[in-house]
Amino acid sequence: MIYELLKTSLALTAHQIIFYLIAATILVTGLLAVTSPKIFRSAIFLLFSLLGIAGLYFWMEMEFVAAVQISVYVGGIVVLIIFSIFLTEHAGKEARKAPPVRTIAASLAALFGIILGFLIIGQYPFAVSSEAFDNSVSRIGEAMLNYNEGGFSLPFEVVSILLLAAMVGCIVVAMRPGVLSKTEKTKEEK
Amino acid sequence: MKFSLEYITKSVDGWLNATFNPTIAFLIESVIVMVLVIALFAFLGLVLVIMERKVAAFMQIRLGPNRVGPKGMFQTVADTLKLIVKEGFTPNNVDKFLFNLAPFIVMITAMVAMAPLPFANGFQIWDVNIGILFITAITSVSVIGILMAGWSSNNKYSLLGAMRSGAQIVSYELSAGLSILVIVMLSGSLRISDIVAAQADGWWIFKGHIPVLISFVIFIIAATAETNRAPFDMAEAESELTAGFHTEYSGMKFALFFLAEYVNIFIVCAVGATLFLGGWMPLHFGTGTAFNTVMDYIPGIVWFFGKTFLLIFIIMWFRWTFPRLRIDQLLNLEWKYLLPICLVNLLLATIIAIAGWHF
Amino acid sequence: MFIVDYIKEVFGAIKSLGTGMRRTFWYFVHPKEIITEQYPENKENGQLILAERFRGEVVMPHDENNEHACTGCTACELACPNGTIKIVTKFDITPEGKKKKAIDQFVYRLEMCTMCNLCVEACPSDAIIMTNDFEHSVYDRNELTKILNKPGSKIRDGIE
Repeated sequence: MIYELLKTSLALTAHQIIFYLIAATILVTGLLAVTSPKIFRSAIFLLFSLLGIAGLYFWMEMEFVAAVQISVYVGGIVVLIIFSIFLTEHAGKEARKAPPVRTIAASLAALFGIILGFLIIGQYPFAVSSEAFDNSVSRIGEAMLNYNEGGFSLPFEVVSILLLAAMVGCIVVAMRPGVLSKTEKTKEEK
Repeated sequence: MKFSLEYITKSVDGWLNATFNPTIAFLIESVIVMVLVIALFAFLGLVLVIMERKVAAFMQIRLGPNRVGPKGMFQTVADTLKLIVKEGFTPNNVDKFLFNLAPFIVMITAMVAMAPLPFANGFQIWDVNIGILFITAITSVSVIGILMAGWSSNNKYSLLGAMRSGAQIVSYELSAGLSILVIVMLSGSLRISDIVAAQADGWWIFKGHIPVLISFVIFIIAATAETNRAPFDMAEAESELTAGFHTEYSGMKFALFFLAEYVNIFIVCAVGATLFLGGWMPLHFGTGTAFNTVMDYIPGIVWFFGKTFLLIFIIMWFRWTFPRLRIDQLLNLEWKYLLPICLVNLLLATIIAIAGWHF
Repeated sequence: MFIVDYIKEVFGAIKSLGTGMRRTFWYFVHPKEIITEQYPENKENGQLILAERFRGEVVMPHDENNEHACTGCTACELACPNGTIKIVTKFDITPEGKKKKAIDQFVYRLEMCTMCNLCVEACPSDAIIMTNDFEHSVYDRNELTKILNKPGSKIRDGIE
């Protein structure tokens, strides 16, 4: 009897159960990331939230996007955040409690964002498509370098120029004045 | 009849699906896979530690452990029992939640990264279409566990070790990724079974000329650095940082870090064996010779583990030969040597792949 | 040229690493080179080989007539950096009726000895030597205080 019940309920809603579990993980860890008084814990909860999003992509069988999500956000950005926490003074202490006015204002702003997002999303009826679709990596690559209709060549190049500019900017900011001339001098001495 | 693991997995899958409904069958299969993976982990922990100690001893003109069991083969079993019964001590003023979570993060990432590894023909947990990218993505998470352990230990040695290991893993991931990319380009797929299938007529290290050879060497170097092993073991340099990020750990939590280190070695070596040495593909010379027929009778799983353990031996050989690098030497090696060589090598490999000059 | 230097450097590094790896591999495949001593076993089968100059403990050799070579000059006691040796002297009456200085007890405290060999080098009559014996563990600390001259022993004739 119980087995039969389990069987039917599993067959019907296993997909939904897993989806809601992943979604709940993302939301709870995201909330914890914002509310945790310890900054390092916040970073770790952010990590779990991002991992949950990757899990959602895996669940939707968008493996490439999921793997990129993990390697860029988890392996890259969260590691950078953690490094900057390590290099900050007083990072081990708990953050001061915000005054209640700020807490209320922040939660109101968050509520406003949620309602706005909900309203905008609610305007569009998302059609459920049952046909199989091709998510192979080669198709993503072709779309990325395609300069015809529906291609992403221009945004790809624009983003890469943006990243290049950011990297050059980083080097300029990080380099102390006079360092370059000093290294050149030592080379000449050699 | 040739020994085939695919036949076993297929018949188990068929029987389960015939007996139960698909969901239950899937759940049972997941449990079987979990048990197998945990068993493999225990096996690897026991075998690799005794192998490392014996290799180290012979290279240093010593005998190594030789008291417990025949030739000391049960030494690691005794060590494991000792670690299990030891107290898992948590020091004062640590972030208890993160301190206890860190070893599990390291362990779970190692477990998940094992999913797309092809142990034999058709004996693979999850043949995902981005297999190799999946492994690199998941292994990049394990650094978080190390950083977490270093931070939450509330110990300056741990923090220094964690920061070193973070800087090291983040930089060596680049050259590891670029050397993997050479093989991905030549085989034209990220799916691991496709990469193995592309080597049916010869392994990439033989077919791919010099660029593949260079990328193989760079991959081994980067893999050594990514697993925090000597000569790149700044993260736990005993002589300066006591034990680096796991200074404060004891008992089973320490054992998890220790086990994860060895499992990570196994994973990177298995990836190396799959990409460059043909995975479970047997060694073939030419076509249709008697030698090839004999080689075909050796099961794929033996080939896979043989190649993997060969690479593991090479990494152990590195460890017991070379002295530890300084942190600036380590970063110089990556950014001034490996990365430029990798980029030029990638260009060469692209030319070979487009022109079809590989065999 | 920069690029030539760069390539030279890379190949030089590979060569030197290869030299090291060849050496360790040679040892790996030559187990006969292993120099580990299997201590409790090789004591039983007689393969325990210690270096000749290994310094284990100070002893005073006695010949078959129960005679030693110590004149009781206390040169060893003075030479000892940490007061391991204490010589108790007495006066013997020689057949001619003269008094002669001789040792009563040569007290040697093993627990304080650092095996520095200075006493042996200081001895003018080579009365004490270092042996290879290294198994010093006992259950009582008092057993480590040893009297090196055997009871009833006397100085060998002809040693001043």
